[in-house]
Amino acid sequence: MFGVVVLSSVTGFQSAYPTAAGRTQLARSLAGDSGLTALFGPGRHLDTVGGFAAWRSLGTVTLVGGVWGLLAATRLLRGEEDAGRWELLLAGRTTRRRAAAEGLLGLAGGWAVMWATVAVIAVAAGRSQGAGLPVSGALYLSLALVASAGVFLAIGALASQLAPTRRRAASLASGVLGVSFLVRMIADSGTSRSWLRWFTPLGWIEELRPLTGSRTGPLIPLAGLVAVVSAAAVVLAGRRDLGASTLPDRDTAEPRLGLLNGPWGLTARLARPVALGWVAAVALSGLVFGLIAEGAAQAVSGSTAMQRALARLGVRASGAAVYLGLCFVILSALIGLVAAGQVAAAREEEAEGRLDSLLVQPLGRLRWLGGRVAVAAALVTVLAVVGGIGAWVGAAAQGTAISLARLVAAGLNIAPVGLFVLGFGVLLHGVSPRIAAGAAYGLVAWSFLIEMVGAVVKANHWMLDLSLLHHVAPAPAADPRWTSGAVLVALGAAAALIGAACFDRRDLVGR
Amino acid sequence: MATAIRTEGLTKHFGSVRALESLDLEVSEGEVLGCLGPNGAGKTTTIRLLLGLIRPTAGRAEIFGLDAERQTLEAHRRIAYVPGEPSLWPSLTGAETLHLLGRVHGQVDARYRDELIERFSFEPAKKVRALSKGNRQKLALIAALMTRADALILDEPTSGLDPLMEQTFRECVVEAREAGQAVFLSSHILSEVEALCDRVAILRAGVLVESGSLAEMRHLSALSVEVAFGGVPPDLSGIPGVRDVHVTGRRVRCQVRGSVEPLLKVLAASEVTEVLSREPSLEELFLAHYGPADGRRHPG
Repeated sequence: MFGVVVLSSVTGFQSAYPTAAGRTQLARSLAGDSGLTALFGPGRHLDTVGGFAAWRSLGTVTLVGGVWGLLAATRLLRGEEDAGRWELLLAGRTTRRRAAAEGLLGLAGGWAVMWATVAVIAVAAGRSQGAGLPVSGALYLSLALVASAGVFLAIGALASQLAPTRRRAASLASGVLGVSFLVRMIADSGTSRSWLRWFTPLGWIEELRPLTGSRTGPLIPLAGLVAVVSAAAVVLAGRRDLGASTLPDRDTAEPRLGLLNGPWGLTARLARPVALGWVAAVALSGLVFGLIAEGAAQAVSGSTAMQRALARLGVRASGAAVYLGLCFVILSALIGLVAAGQVAAAREEEAEGRLDSLLVQPLGRLRWLGGRVAVAAALVTVLAVVGGIGAWVGAAAQGTAISLARLVAAGLNIAPVGLFVLGFGVLLHGVSPRIAAGAAYGLVAWSFLIEMVGAVVKANHWMLDLSLLHHVAPAPAADPRWTSGAVLVALGAAAALIGAACFDRRDLVGR
Repeated sequence: MATAIRTEGLTKHFGSVRALESLDLEVSEGEVLGCLGPNGAGKTTTIRLLLGLIRPTAGRAEIFGLDAERQTLEAHRRIAYVPGEPSLWPSLTGAETLHLLGRVHGQVDARYRDELIERFSFEPAKKVRALSKGNRQKLALIAALMTRADALILDEPTSGLDPLMEQTFRECVVEAREAGQAVFLSSHILSEVEALCDRVAILRAGVLVESGSLAEMRHLSALSVEVAFGGVPPDLSGIPGVRDVHVTGRRVRCQVRGSVEPLLKVLAASEVTEVLSREPSLEELFLAHYGPADGRRHPG
């Protein structure tokens, strides 16, 4: 995936800005844009292929790499323990400390493989089509790209020792990533605050400046942080009891019975923490998109090729609305992920055997499934509206003149993506439950990938048609296409009905 | 007594695996049926078919005359179930779990529930994820027993319980039987089945190999006899019904199947100082079915 981003940044830059004049104009407008700088970090030498590729790929990949790192580390070092498999390992000839160290080594191996893969792609991209990137520069870029994955592998490992469950460990590490990103954003949103950059590992990664006058100094704090945090994780792993946490945990609680009157209430109760997290994340993303829309719009207007590409997508408006239209496409992918996550949660209830406890009661399977789907559909719709409201608040604060109704409509415009993913997931859950969650996530990833590559490379339109996101109008830049939205929802509902009928007839299956 | 649970030719295949082959069983009200068998014998498959969680390949299961597959909801109003490895929601406390399951079931004896919490010394304020396996087992037992359902389906319900709590569990099962509830108890703990069950069904590799009351089954197995002689022991191996003769000095151990009269006649003619005879335990019955394949198995 990282490789695709690098590849698309290099080739995309060349096809979108073929002339020196266009590149200079782009560099000037981007340099003056505080919004994009806050989001992606400051760009240097943006009129060169290397500068643009480094800025663009580092900006996107650093966050994704961090998320991958913390998820991989918490899954191996805490998820395995939660599932009881770590216990079997520890019963062998090993100690808790050594097992944790070996787990970390395994993760480091995975990270090294990732670096090697990205390096190969970066070198290949650099040598292709006259991009003219030096091999050493491409290698250094690939190191910078995977650096955040390495840092957050270590932080995820430490969080796994601190928190009592995998989910809490992942939340803790995500919080660290969120704060690091926020500090980096503040640091990059004005020259007077740039010293803040030294207080976040994401700032150090930015200071590596690959392809634009590489500086190796920040590698020292990066390597030091990874070493110290990993060592702390190994030491804590040796000190604590299996299944216990270093941070205090509340194991008892006053009963809160409000929602626990039936399967629907139970689903709402179980989904609540995740749902609240997503609502906050989507509201914040909408807000940030709204805040930077005006500035970003000016950057886009510098490229005639970009405008032509947007016109192909049906964009007629200009300015901030265009930029927000692209942002809502990203939000729609996020909402698709939420829907896939709900399918995964429903499947987990069955796989772990918790569903048995409900279905041996006088409770029909369809009533249980209906509750899950209703809660998930409501969550998707609420997120879509919240994204629209967040964007409006951000835009209004910057004096951008786009009405609330238009942005809420833009939000509702992307809800069908989530609803279709949900219906598709329910269908698979009924037919072949073991692959349902993976396939739902896969559909979203595929759609997003096609959309990203397709926007740059002239993709086959059959391929584009297979991407869900391609059927969504880039509102508010264009009018929402309610008919294609309705078709998506109807297809999703039909798939869900078939899935439900199959689920009612099949055996319950464990892992 | 009315029939609570009945299966007719109940069969389940998972792909090419024959998990259960044409099972016929009955449990009446006020009766405890012990279902014995090693892992993979088909005990849990039988229970999941009874509960309608999986669909039979052939045959049918009935709960109080209601089809387990088609009239699931009506059937479930009359039963309660305890799984061997209870999987409950880690973020809920014990009290919340009991409240939820009670509401979904619709029928709870609140006073009995509180009494059960007391008797099993269960801590309802703890979250499920903080409970040990034994405590989760207690929670599942309380959730099932508090409904006072007409039939209890228990799948190895005491794994993880300490001996004291196992005693409490046994008392609860006896109470349930006295109250006229039917109990289907799957287990591989023989002493538990021997202590609690009126009838026993033995499953092996998906096939019912033996079924009947404990008294009936004992008749099928041999009597253990040990004799001490004053002088050199006579040869007992030729006597009809006598087998597995072991001689240690002046002591002889053997198994007698069928009438003991031929053996007694031989013994009466010798100088006997001591005779011990004992009914076979369930362990011996069980070993007779699963033990070394030396032909000791009696045709059922």
